[in-house]
Amino acid sequence: MRDNRRYRRGMISWLLLLPLVVLGLFPYLVMLSTALKSAKDLFAYPPRILPSQLDFASMMVIWDKVDFARAIANGMVVSVSTTVLTLLFAVPAAYSLARFQTRGSGAIRVFLMVTQMISPVVLIIGIFRMMAAMGMMNDLRALILALTGFSVAFAVWMLQSYFKTLPREIEEAAAIDGANWFNGLRLVFLPLAMPAIGVTAVFTFITAWTEFVLSYTLLRTPEMATATLKVVYLVSGQYSVAWNEVMAAAIVTTLPILGIFIVFQKHIVGGLVQGAVK
Amino acid sequence: MSERRPILPMGLMIPSLLLVLWIIGYPLYDLLIMSVHSVDRFAQVGGFVGSANFQKLFADPLFWASFWRTCIWSTFVTLGAIALSLPVAILLSQDFPGRSIARVIVLCPWAISASMFGVVWRWALNGNGGVVNAVLMELGLTKEPIYFLATSDLAFPIAIAVGILAVVPLTVIIFLAGLASIQDDLYDAARIDGASSFSTFTNITLPLLKPFLNIAIVINIIYSFNSFAIVWVLTQGGPANSTDILVTYLYKMAFQFGRIDQAAAMSIIMFGFLLALITLYARFAMKERVT
Repeated sequence: MRDNRRYRRGMISWLLLLPLVVLGLFPYLVMLSTALKSAKDLFAYPPRILPSQLDFASMMVIWDKVDFARAIANGMVVSVSTTVLTLLFAVPAAYSLARFQTRGSGAIRVFLMVTQMISPVVLIIGIFRMMAAMGMMNDLRALILALTGFSVAFAVWMLQSYFKTLPREIEEAAAIDGANWFNGLRLVFLPLAMPAIGVTAVFTFITAWTEFVLSYTLLRTPEMATATLKVVYLVSGQYSVAWNEVMAAAIVTTLPILGIFIVFQKHIVGGLVQGAVK
Repeated sequence: MSERRPILPMGLMIPSLLLVLWIIGYPLYDLLIMSVHSVDRFAQVGGFVGSANFQKLFADPLFWASFWRTCIWSTFVTLGAIALSLPVAILLSQDFPGRSIARVIVLCPWAISASMFGVVWRWALNGNGGVVNAVLMELGLTKEPIYFLATSDLAFPIAIAVGILAVVPLTVIIFLAGLASIQDDLYDAARIDGASSFSTFTNITLPLLKPFLNIAIVINIIYSFNSFAIVWVLTQGGPANSTDILVTYLYKMAFQFGRIDQAAAMSIIMFGFLLALITLYARFAMKERVT
């Protein structure tokens, strides 16, 4: 009887959620079915929902004709460097914010909270001019620098809210045991902080991997494009778009992020809430 | 600890602060300078012109058109996202078989970046071969394919719909956090008192969810105000500027029309507006102190 009611509630919930479940899967289904279409299927009339036969050609073409491997390499260089740099800046700052109360820390908190929400698009002309003045146009380093500058405030916020939950006593105990302050941090604090650092790293990586306006503005040639940017290049400025190749590239760009999302789902959702609802 | 090492806390903080001042502060300062000087199309700063750039901007009908369009865009994206996300979050916070799978599916568009989302929908809505037309024709709802994004009356409402779908996962997550923060014993007490599920909803769930509702509203306004990637990839503001919002018009003005001084003035206005929104958000968030 009880089981029956639970089952019925499940059915109703799934029915009510159905539209959004379909819409949630829709982009992935479009990517997959388009990537597996042949060029002939693409513009068939009337338009086709599914491919008439599975055609894996576009999955090959993006590697040799489009040189998507290069775009992925660029994207990896940018995202990994941004993540490492952001953490190098943010971990000490977050430690300081979580452990010391100084006169300026209230102001610093507000400053970080505001800057983490500023989006690069309203400052893009200034950023473009600054990078050009430093001679770093069409240079991955310019993008890494800009992305790090825009990621660091969020990373500090996220890290410090977790660091605050770690008991201060662990470092004090290490100090009593004769470890100097730095070794105490390295051997006692850092291992405990690793989960938070990991989640922050995942977030920073995803932000860098999926970023658009900075890369679109600072990288000027297709050879320098990151994976996300390259997909947009494939769509724009061409007389006729090979949508099967575009979607094959989009899958390759998106699947790693989807994988990370599913594996770290609980942490990411928790982190997003922290990020969004601080 | 703080008395013993007064230098240390600042020393750990300073690299991050300097980085932010450099990457965000300097461009802002540069934009302020540019907004009151004449700047040529190669971004060379000329003489001081006072408020001339702002006056020219305010005399530009396309600026006002994209301003009003941004108001409509942000309002509808925000309202739509909340109207969709609140019931979904409530459903997802109930216990039913397969709930965790449903959660993952509803949230998984979050893994698609805004630009990729734009690319997918641009193709799905394509007049030649797009899957939306394929479905509509299959169901017999239309005989001829519809050129959704190439028709100026249709493009903007369609862009709004895509914009809503893009922010649903984040909005659901905010509401899920809010619902999780409501303690179960409140519901137990209500049930013992014989409250109906409707009055439980209006008397317990909604009031306790209100701070999260505020945050979801402000976050979505900020997010939609900034949503450059999705509109740019979907329509580039076209056809005939019919989907230009402030961020896309700003980009065109600077990088296509070469009116960099007016674009700088526009950036300053938009930055001020964004700052006001962020302050509002910060007040809501500080009051809530969820973490």
